Amino acid sequence: MVNDSLFTDFSKQSPKGILVIYAKLLFKAFKATWILLIIFIQRFSKFSEETLVYVYIGIVVFLVFFLIRAYLVYTNFLFKIDDGQFVLKEGILQKKNTSISFDRIQNINFKQNLIQQLINVYEVSIETAGSKDTEIAIKALTYEKAQALKMALSLVKKKTQQLELDVEQPRPLLKIGFKELFKVSLTENHLQNLLVFMALVFGALQQLNDVFIGIGENDVLGNYADVNPKDIFNSIIIFVIFILMLIVIGVLSSFVRILLFHFNLTLFIKDKSLEITQGLLTKKSILLSKGKIQSITISTNPIKKKLGISFVTFKQAVSGKVKKQQNKLIRIIGCKIEQIKIIKELLYVDSSVDDETRYVPNNYYLLRMYFRSAIGIIILNCIILFLIKDTTWLWANMLVIPVTLLLIHLKYQKAFYQFNEEILLIGKGRVETHGTYLSFFKVQNIKIKQTIFQKRRKVVNLVLQTASGKITLPCVEENRAITLYNYILYKVESSKESWM
Amino acid sequence: MEFSNIEILQLPDISKVTFKRIHKDHLKVLILTILSVFTILFLAVFLLETNVEEIGSFPYVNYIYLVLVLLFFVLLIAFGIGFSRRKYVLRDKDVTYKSGVLIKVVTTVPFSRIQHVEISEAPISRLFKLASLNVFTAGDSSNDLVIKGIKKEEALKIKEFINQQING
Repeated sequence: MVNDSLFTDFSKQSPKGILVIYAKLLFKAFKATWILLIIFIQRFSKFSEETLVYVYIGIVVFLVFFLIRAYLVYTNFLFKIDDGQFVLKEGILQKKNTSISFDRIQNINFKQNLIQQLINVYEVSIETAGSKDTEIAIKALTYEKAQALKMALSLVKKKTQQLELDVEQPRPLLKIGFKELFKVSLTENHLQNLLVFMALVFGALQQLNDVFIGIGENDVLGNYADVNPKDIFNSIIIFVIFILMLIVIGVLSSFVRILLFHFNLTLFIKDKSLEITQGLLTKKSILLSKGKIQSITISTNPIKKKLGISFVTFKQAVSGKVKKQQNKLIRIIGCKIEQIKIIKELLYVDSSVDDETRYVPNNYYLLRMYFRSAIGIIILNCIILFLIKDTTWLWANMLVIPVTLLLIHLKYQKAFYQFNEEILLIGKGRVETHGTYLSFFKVQNIKIKQTIFQKRRKVVNLVLQTASGKITLPCVEENRAITLYNYILYKVESSKESWM
Repeated sequence: MEFSNIEILQLPDISKVTFKRIHKDHLKVLILTILSVFTILFLAVFLLETNVEEIGSFPYVNYIYLVLVLLFFVLLIAFGIGFSRRKYVLRDKDVTYKSGVLIKVVTTVPFSRIQHVEISEAPISRLFKLASLNVFTAGDSSNDLVIKGIKKEEALKIKEFINQQING
């Protein structure tokens, strides 16, 4: 069992932590100056020997400075457990003292990035619900100490659960090997991944370009950006190659993304929580306790459906107005139907909701989407006619209009909601299909929204706010929405269960 | 639509509650606010016209005043309607607020989900002893409930009431 006294006095991280902090500082500095470095390397031959000596001295001073800084950060980072509080002292010049009471701790996660994996230390992050400043990360602890800390924190929290924490690791519910990972990545939404990848590349190119223009060198990348659109359309071969290339890049970027985030995905069920470990460069281990999950979404797409796999997204409470919501979104991929059944059972999602009557949004929803897209397309055409003044671009309508129509219809077909006494199931999606399960008592507040157009049609939008974001039921008939509104309020107000 | 066990008709119905309007002095606050904003705008345009030559010689300069005047009246009407739509009600277990001109919104927050309650006073509102009541719930708090334009004493009373409900 853990020696509780281990943390009663202030303790430091593992000395290896210096290395982790050092690497992080260097990486940050590199990220801020990488463009300068590229320019420097380009001009390397042009420097005189004398200047080079100074440059080398500069670099050494830089490195030593960061090393000292890392050491100071390390020695000034102290934590202990004191009377139901986790106390942290940090800061070299500007001292910071944080204490968190145990009942506010939402999660204790382990994480390992590449360096931490190499020197075998774990990063322990302590998440809290509430104010956003109290996310704490202890950069480097040995596995034993990390486990001990986790236990110490959860022990005081729930004294009764001492024994369960010591139980041997059970067989994982889900384990995704490399082969399976590959299979899953083939069925991903390649278009989306392609766009993410392109955005990254263009962002970097833009940055490079800015710098080169800034230092007086002419547009180096201009040649790439200056492709006349007519050439592409005229030469079908180039076009086909272009498309093929995009497809290859799309598939590759899906694969890389899946590999980075979900490598070696394992899911354990432990008593009342789910433990998920995944990631290649940054290995993350997350303990999700059941009560803290606000909603789950089960998603699939046509190809995945054929293979019988889907992915599950767990949503936890978001603290404050944090931007990095991804951290609170935990996703596991490659789930089979049986596994989903077990997860649902564990989270008390009563599967009978799947067989309830299915309600679809009012026709007005479809009309509104037509109307909005029509406006979008008209604006697009106006831009082509009056700003670009090149009528060849009008042919783009041949592609844009049918695709928009198709997407609208898919979206309308996939939108639905159904419910039983405890749970609401909301369906949405275009190519993918997402089903979100939300227990009524997790709702924080509820809204009815009605535009003047909706009023004429007697439909409203019903917005359910949860601790992990809002869920909208679009264009519900007014009287049905009011009944649901009253019922959900009744469920929330009569519920004895805590939402977190 | 059927829920077994529970008779729908017995549930408290939000559409059958009598709502209370916000304090009538709030209309004055709104008008004063618009007036002060437009005074500044008019002054700015006037000063630009008399002092900057390019703008003074701009042929359509009078239209700018016309647009400003039109905008002023449109906003005045919109705020007037908006004012009459702002209503709230406290029930045993929740607080509800409705408002909206083009988009009508009804929001209900159950007391059991309230994290904390705040009272704030804007400068012009303070002249009329008005305050606004902000109710926060967990999660992304941008979408919570704000009741603007109630008497400060009443706001304090409501705050006290809600605090009792949360803790009691």
